Amino acid sequence: MKLAAVDYAILLVYFGFVLGIGWRLRKKIATSGDFLTSGHSVPVWITSLAFLAANLGAQELVGMSGNGAKYGIITAHFYWVGAVPAMIFVGLFMMPFYWGSRARSVPEYLKMRFDEKTRALNALSFAGMTVFSSGISMYALGLLLKLILGWSFTTSVLCSAAIVLAYTFLGGLTSAIYNEVLQFFLIVMGFSPLAIMAVMKAGGWGGMSARLATMTLPGGMNGSVMTHSWKYLGHTNQNPMGIEVFGLVMGLGFVMSFGYWCTDFLVIQRAMAANSMSASRRTPVIAALPKMMMPFIVIVPGIAALALSQMAVGYDLPMKNGGPDYDQVLTTLMAKFYPAGMLGVGLTGLMASFMSGMAGNVTAFNTVFTYDIYQTHIRPGRPDHHYLTVGRVTTVVGVALSIATAYLAQYYNSINDLLQLVFSFVNAPLFGTFLLGMFWKRTSGHGAFCGLLSGTVAAAITHGCTLAEGKGGWITTLYEFPSSMAQNFWIAIMAWTTCFIVTILVSLVTRPRPEKELHGLVYGLTELKHDEGVSWYKRPVPLAIAIAALALFLNIWFA
Amino acid sequence: MLDLRVPTGFFFTIVGLILVGMGVFWPSERAALTDSNVNLYCGLVMLAFGLFMLGVSRLSKHQGS
Repeated sequence: MKLAAVDYAILLVYFGFVLGIGWRLRKKIATSGDFLTSGHSVPVWITSLAFLAANLGAQELVGMSGNGAKYGIITAHFYWVGAVPAMIFVGLFMMPFYWGSRARSVPEYLKMRFDEKTRALNALSFAGMTVFSSGISMYALGLLLKLILGWSFTTSVLCSAAIVLAYTFLGGLTSAIYNEVLQFFLIVMGFSPLAIMAVMKAGGWGGMSARLATMTLPGGMNGSVMTHSWKYLGHTNQNPMGIEVFGLVMGLGFVMSFGYWCTDFLVIQRAMAANSMSASRRTPVIAALPKMMMPFIVIVPGIAALALSQMAVGYDLPMKNGGPDYDQVLTTLMAKFYPAGMLGVGLTGLMASFMSGMAGNVTAFNTVFTYDIYQTHIRPGRPDHHYLTVGRVTTVVGVALSIATAYLAQYYNSINDLLQLVFSFVNAPLFGTFLLGMFWKRTSGHGAFCGLLSGTVAAAITHGCTLAEGKGGWITTLYEFPSSMAQNFWIAIMAWTTCFIVTILVSLVTRPRPEKELHGLVYGLTELKHDEGVSWYKRPVPLAIAIAALALFLNIWFA
Repeated sequence: MLDLRVPTGFFFTIVGLILVGMGVFWPSERAALTDSNVNLYCGLVMLAFGLFMLGVSRLSKHQGS
């Protein structure tokens, strides 16, 4: 792929705006709260789009279009069964406690609700994970630019890190949020034309379905599985993903998605920045609307690519080591469909989403480090400007650690996989702890801590005793899953169930916190304000019902 | 606080103008599989979006004062 002068011009204009936004926002930073939590002052349409965009990294764009070509519309379950219900749930039922408790971070909520050790466990694992994810973003960006444009890995990594550092250092969380929104518009404008053109070229949705139904997939299945999201989920051997209804709904839909969207500070931080309780509750709910439309931009082009490869139009799936290279589906489509000009827009969108992925992690990392680790355990009781300085220094350190991780990932792929695995074990049980903590006032700090630890151990044991695609089974092999996707779902289910049961058992034999300390933190002891006399689309509940109905419709339409 | 609609509006207006310019002056600039003048159409959409953002921002400022 070769860029023309106009493509570079678009790239430069975008980075000019990104840095300009950071520069303009720098004057608004007077306290550590302004820098790390945006001082609860961001309008709801901005927090909603940032809530969505913080998660819409480039790995998702590249990965989901690849999954579209590999698994078909079943991939949309990550949105229609996974994300959307969880986003509605966190908005309606959990934001009242996050926002109402006035906690500055998710670990801080755990401290208020439970105790210091539960907070420390969560804060440390979260801080490690954000630095790691940000490094992986950089690494993936470096690889991609090297592969498609021939840029050097070091140049890509250092340039992107410098830009991210500049705008997060200047404008803090607000700057990261603003740029996420700009990136979101760029993704939509830059990639929906690709989806439209690829689908039209492949004969529209009907033409694509008809063509795929005549082909045989690499695994030997009939291609008609590619255009149905529910029809072939009865048994693991009916669909290329190797999953069935229970594992999907329980593992992905309930445990994994709720665990991510309801407890991950990276996204919750965006909703916490909203300017009122109602706005913070509406943030994830409004974000669910564009979220459920994303499959049309990120997954459908992949399905179209597969259909196009069956037609004699001059498009073939990219190949590597004798099999299709699904990670290249998106970039090869761009090269085939975009002339100089739009190619620049698409590529800028891709780079922008890598960077906002990094910036999101860095801004979550500096908040958790400053408030939950430094202010709590290292130097408590200093004046606020001290913590503002610490927040800024942590931003620099976070970016430096990410660069180190990017290089580590380049040289030691196995460390990379191992870390990712460990983090997935730590994350798996989290939702069990939050669910009990918010809805059962009897839950005690010891219960939560033991539940989290035992859930993580259960996840590790499940991975150690099962095998899928050659992964796992390092203790013994008791069961073999048809795909690592199915294995992940079941690890999550085991971890959540263990955490849930252990937390209840330990809570029953330990002393709960007195009720008067739990106001604003637990359901039943928190007053929920009803917004009477506001139009329905400004109230969280009616809005949620409308959006849930739409998600249901999409599930049925593409069943 | 900086109104985000202003930089968003300016950004898409500029990129829209660049693309429309490409579409008008180099209408035969095509990729292997494109049948239409992609730059022109996408540029017009972005230009319209950019101007809309700027307009809405101006309007709300007007009402606020």
